[in-house]
Amino acid sequence: MAAEELPSEFDVVILGTGLAESVVAAAFSRVGQRVLHLDRRSYYAANWASFTFNSLLTWIQQHHEEPQPEELHDWSSLLEEGEELIYLSNTDSTSVRNLQVFCFTSEEGEEAEAQSPDAPNTTEEVSAGDAVKETSETESADSKYEETNQKPEEEEEEEQASQTEGEEPEADQPTPTAAQSQSEPTKKKISYAQLVKEGRRFNIDLVSKLLYSRGSLVDLLIKSNVSRYAEFKNVTRILTYRHGQVEQVPCSRADVFASRQLSVVEKRKLMRYLTSCVEETEEQRAYNGRPYLEFLCDQQLGNNLQHFLLHSIAMVTEDTPTEEGLASTRHFLRCLGRYGNTPFLFPVYGLGEIPQCFCRMCAVFGGIYCLRHSVTCLLVEKETNRCKAVIDSRGQRISCSHFVVEDGFVGADRKRLATPTRFLSRAVLITDGSILPSNSDQQVSMITVPPVAAGCPTVKMVELCPSTMTCMPGTHLVHLTCQSVGSAFEDLSPVVTRMFRTPQSHDQEKNPSVLWCLYFNMADGSEVKGHDLPSNVFVTFGPDGALSHEHAVSQAELIFKKILPEEDFCPPAPNPEDIIYDGENTSTGGEEEQSLQTEE
Amino acid sequence: MAGGSVFECKEYLFKVLVIGELGVGKTSIIKRYVHQLFSQHYRATIGVDFALKVINWDSKTLVRLQLWDIAGQERFGNMTRVYYKEAVGAFVVFDVTRGSTFEAVSKWKHDLDSKVKLANGNPIPSVLLANKCDQKKDSSNNTALMDNFCKETGFLGWFETSAKDNINVDEAARFLVESILANDKGLPYEESNGERIKLDQETVAAESKSGCC
Repeated sequence: MAAEELPSEFDVVILGTGLAESVVAAAFSRVGQRVLHLDRRSYYAANWASFTFNSLLTWIQQHHEEPQPEELHDWSSLLEEGEELIYLSNTDSTSVRNLQVFCFTSEEGEEAEAQSPDAPNTTEEVSAGDAVKETSETESADSKYEETNQKPEEEEEEEQASQTEGEEPEADQPTPTAAQSQSEPTKKKISYAQLVKEGRRFNIDLVSKLLYSRGSLVDLLIKSNVSRYAEFKNVTRILTYRHGQVEQVPCSRADVFASRQLSVVEKRKLMRYLTSCVEETEEQRAYNGRPYLEFLCDQQLGNNLQHFLLHSIAMVTEDTPTEEGLASTRHFLRCLGRYGNTPFLFPVYGLGEIPQCFCRMCAVFGGIYCLRHSVTCLLVEKETNRCKAVIDSRGQRISCSHFVVEDGFVGADRKRLATPTRFLSRAVLITDGSILPSNSDQQVSMITVPPVAAGCPTVKMVELCPSTMTCMPGTHLVHLTCQSVGSAFEDLSPVVTRMFRTPQSHDQEKNPSVLWCLYFNMADGSEVKGHDLPSNVFVTFGPDGALSHEHAVSQAELIFKKILPEEDFCPPAPNPEDIIYDGENTSTGGEEEQSLQTEE
Repeated sequence: MAGGSVFECKEYLFKVLVIGELGVGKTSIIKRYVHQLFSQHYRATIGVDFALKVINWDSKTLVRLQLWDIAGQERFGNMTRVYYKEAVGAFVVFDVTRGSTFEAVSKWKHDLDSKVKLANGNPIPSVLLANKCDQKKDSSNNTALMDNFCKETGFLGWFETSAKDNINVDEAARFLVESILANDKGLPYEESNGERIKLDQETVAAESKSGCC
């Protein structure tokens, strides 16, 4: 914990702890390279991070504050003969924007205190102490809370919302009979104070993705043994939104047979289609370049099946070419049944775990980690145009053979900007129930929402239950993502209003209520841009809008292969239970190494 | 191995963290405890995630203790959440010959309590280890002071240990496990969490439907 000075020589220095950078770090460290892994932020995983409710409030607040322009140090005194400096950007204020927060539950928590809906084994004393501690930690975030509502009329609406809630009899009187507060789910809304108090039970991801059970991330986790650091939940069902209704999409053989929405004819057609599309046929090739929708139409499957196949199984848009639509359909089908009834997995504790798993592996093999620590500039040898060293935020010169940096830290002057940056629209909702209640209250659902109106984007939605360890008991966490057309609020609030109960929605009595929500835009990392940087500097890009993690994994592998083409990418780490320590003689003196052997 | 009482044998897997400043002897303690080995010569902790100790606690209880060492990042104090998550106990180690490592104990304890909690929100049980007691110069008795420090900082207790001379390592572990077991009995484990999936090589080989731990 001491503020010790860093070693001054590494093979690879990596700035940014997002998924791609973390995989790169683990890969290098694993094959014996000396890795220094830094992040300017105070948390791991960059734009892939997940936050407790309280730390999310802090994150929001930080994004509302004007970025402090750091004074630019002149490090030219550290230059040696024939070197020049390239300054990195000292703020990462551009990748996230348009944050809007709404709270639709009552703010005050005194009454709620008496009626905690969960944890019957929590003693009053302890929980009170906890609440005090957590509040004090996030005091600043809370006090700034009001400011996060940008438009005045929304603030008004919000007040109204709290008032209307207040009028509901069950919200007013704390009458916690034993039966009410325990086994039976109470109708009473969870208050804002409760969300804050139970804040640590939330792990709210900035990105929303899933792992395809036969995707490259799952393969990499298994191959490298990084998987030992994570556990997963199956996504238990695929849903879609159609004619104002949430419907379950039958995707496995079992689902198809069990489905009650499909007619016998439809079942037969769907099974036949799913079986036939696995093989590439002459007939399919004839549709290359033409929309997949057209191909589906010509299969005469009917509207129901066509909708399921296009939006929920292929997860493509109406103008996606047939070959692409078929490829994603096949990928979906290949992933079925490996771990469960849907093709997808979700990490327990959220996606923010994954980059940290790779960081842990890197550290286990000797990688050094510093957060709140950055690189201010690169020292470049003019003659060779190679980066020889970096200067960290404390002014230390650290030499390295390679430097990997997240796009956000590269100054605008080094970017070859062809087009303005594209953004993703994101919304995060804390709701009080599932969008499609079923006999199990622990469903993890992937929901595809086709455009609600012409010109609107297709929205991907993931609903998480408390057993994923991402939200407190009694709530669900819902992530919405789409390519941005307008601001996140403009793009996603129409979907939220239709599918959930908010003060803006009408006649949505049966829908789950939104307790709290956040909208924001994040730069779309799929846009790989060129940079004017030395040849041994590699730039990584943040999360893209796809559901899978292919983009990050392939970037990492590409960088690794460029630098060490001969080495294996993330070979399996020895199983800790197989490691036996060598009983060294104490007489060896000199250079001591801990030697490890792996049993057969 | 007491494998006789198969019918009633309860098996536990506990993740225990071993934290403290660089060079206080965390790895030595783990090695001593798990492998009955002590080596004066090691550099850092390369390639080792955790060590496993299997304890036949009593005729009805088998405890598998995973001792998690902190890896290369320790020097700068930025552990990933992967390290902390779902730990049920901790040793905080300092070196009796270096006062600065004792001063860092409260920081480590605070860090620990802020990053991991039991399911009921309580801090995880932790024990303070005053390591390298074989090298202690003064023989002054600080028992009262240390007891008081533990009370204030929230440690269950403390032990003077020596990984080198094998002093108190087993005793400290036993003390911690007792407390973890007591917690475990007191708290009905959150069963609602349902089935979790582990991805591992065997799953690939067998291609079984789910490989829950």
